[in-house]
Amino acid sequence: MKEKRIQTDVLCIGAGIAGLMAGIRAAEKGAKVVLAEKGYARYSGRGRGGNDHFWCYIPEVHGPDVDLFMKECLKGPKLKTMQSGTASTVLRTFLETSFEIVKLWDQWGIPMTYQGRWEFAGHSFPGDVLTHLKYEGRDQKKVLVKKALEQGAEIVNRVMVFDLLKEGDRIIGAVGIDTREDVLVVFETKSVVLGTGCLDRLYPPPTPAWMASIPGNLTLTGDGRAMAYRAGAEIVSPEMPKRHVGPRYFSRFGQATWVGVLRDPHDKPIGPYVTEPHRIYGDMTPEVKGVFLEEYMKTGRGPVYMDCRGISKEDYEYMMHWMWHEGNAPMLDHMKEENIDFRKHPIEFQAYHIIPEGKIGINEKAETSFPGLFSAGDESMGGISCAATYGWIAGENAADYALDALLPEKSGMKAVVDQKEEMIQGITSRKEGADWKEVNIALQQLMQDYAGNVRSETLIKAGLSYLRRMRKKVDQMLMARNRWELTRCLETLNLMDLGELVFIAANERKETRALHHRTDYPLTDPVMDGKEIVVRSENGKPVVEVKRV
Amino acid sequence: MPPVIDREKCTACGLCAEICSEDVYFGSVEGLVPQVTYPDFCAHCSCCVYVCPVEAIWLRIPFPMQLLYKDPGEQ
Repeated sequence: MKEKRIQTDVLCIGAGIAGLMAGIRAAEKGAKVVLAEKGYARYSGRGRGGNDHFWCYIPEVHGPDVDLFMKECLKGPKLKTMQSGTASTVLRTFLETSFEIVKLWDQWGIPMTYQGRWEFAGHSFPGDVLTHLKYEGRDQKKVLVKKALEQGAEIVNRVMVFDLLKEGDRIIGAVGIDTREDVLVVFETKSVVLGTGCLDRLYPPPTPAWMASIPGNLTLTGDGRAMAYRAGAEIVSPEMPKRHVGPRYFSRFGQATWVGVLRDPHDKPIGPYVTEPHRIYGDMTPEVKGVFLEEYMKTGRGPVYMDCRGISKEDYEYMMHWMWHEGNAPMLDHMKEENIDFRKHPIEFQAYHIIPEGKIGINEKAETSFPGLFSAGDESMGGISCAATYGWIAGENAADYALDALLPEKSGMKAVVDQKEEMIQGITSRKEGADWKEVNIALQQLMQDYAGNVRSETLIKAGLSYLRRMRKKVDQMLMARNRWELTRCLETLNLMDLGELVFIAANERKETRALHHRTDYPLTDPVMDGKEIVVRSENGKPVVEVKRV
Repeated sequence: MPPVIDREKCTACGLCAEICSEDVYFGSVEGLVPQVTYPDFCAHCSCCVYVCPVEAIWLRIPFPMQLLYKDPGEQ
């Protein structure tokens, strides 16, 4: 295998919203920046199709008290659940910085106003504080890629970074593969920003036989989380499950953009929040309890429909405008082809698969617990507004760190790089064995059955033992016929590490909280309020702690 | 299964194969009509559909991902 070396001050892994924002800011601060993207930067990550909601604090809209606004945001289940595992100092810094980012994006060409005003709608209950700014994010990635290149950042597409290189207690580089050519890519860097996104492929998709039946991206496999864990950084509450809601089978995010009411087959609203389509307040029922829809199906009271009938002409146009910006253009195309009309046809909704909420722990400077390693975006704080804001903060601090540091000695790298190369040679040279898909499906099966919607100590312990037993075999049997399959194999190995963390942390959380349902601990433990399960690796072994973050 | 390339319209510019983050066109040869090597891995994002300069790509939604709706006018 050929080896390619790239030297930089700041390496951003993943060129989604967080990685690009980090790259732009670090380059602006004078650091040499390389963004490594395993797909293609312009069209990668959750934000590739667009977005229309930016959670932010604008003093002229929300009043001068940021703490009050933060309290308002967290009093309901919606943002509290989304931000579980995030330290309150981090959240506060996000809110304080968010308006600055809004103004920057607007200046760069991502329209953040609507008809000349700050327009807030969606993700909010009638009569309550409005938290999400509407914005025209259809071309957000195009704008951010252009800006990153203008600032002098280098984007390297088709390189999957799969492990960090460290010396003592600092990061000295990272190792990746070219996803198309037979090349090992070694980065020598002073600091790293992880921005690799969500963990969409650990649990079985809504239709288990159809891996693509998820609302997210098949390539989002928590690579940064797995790398950070192996390097020794803290992972916060990897056991907490999250479930999104959207159109049944035609899985898509963006339920908060729908102007409609969730109704049962007899047209009765299933939730108490709205009874007619309202452009400012969508139906918040799924944000209070996503699995509510599943309960309807299980008890035979379903299906549940998102019903936009009765919407005014103006509100219909408003919704269509935002659907397009939200990234739902492919759905609108499909509806046109099939003659499906929001104004006439209620669309069936469902709760999707489990996406673990675990995070790489960061402080208000986006530093992880490992020096020189920073993290932003869905790996540390969910949602595009958080990715944009914390990407910016991560880039700033990673640049400061790098500009004060010397390039590492290369001597420490060789043995580890050789070891990684040997592991890859093993996977690519096998003629018989198990491919990534077989292993990934087996992993999903164990996750769902032993750490899924129902959890208990006996199930968790059995599941963890089965997973570890399988892992030993997988390390000897995993095979790839080409670079594409090799990329999927490395993703799947990351997923296996993260699956183990889910089991370990789920065992430690001896209570029922949100969607973490323990049949042996059916009540919520109030002592755990504000505390998290923190897992890190020490000498290759997991160390678990309950900590206040 | 998605995506479907109209071989008559396709000019073999290779843009779709270049930009797909899931790399479903893996192994496509420059100068030839791209091949959909991994259709199962298509995320139905339509990025290739929108980027194609001659509108030669159609995204066929597979049956397990069909959009379900109620048609009150249906008998």
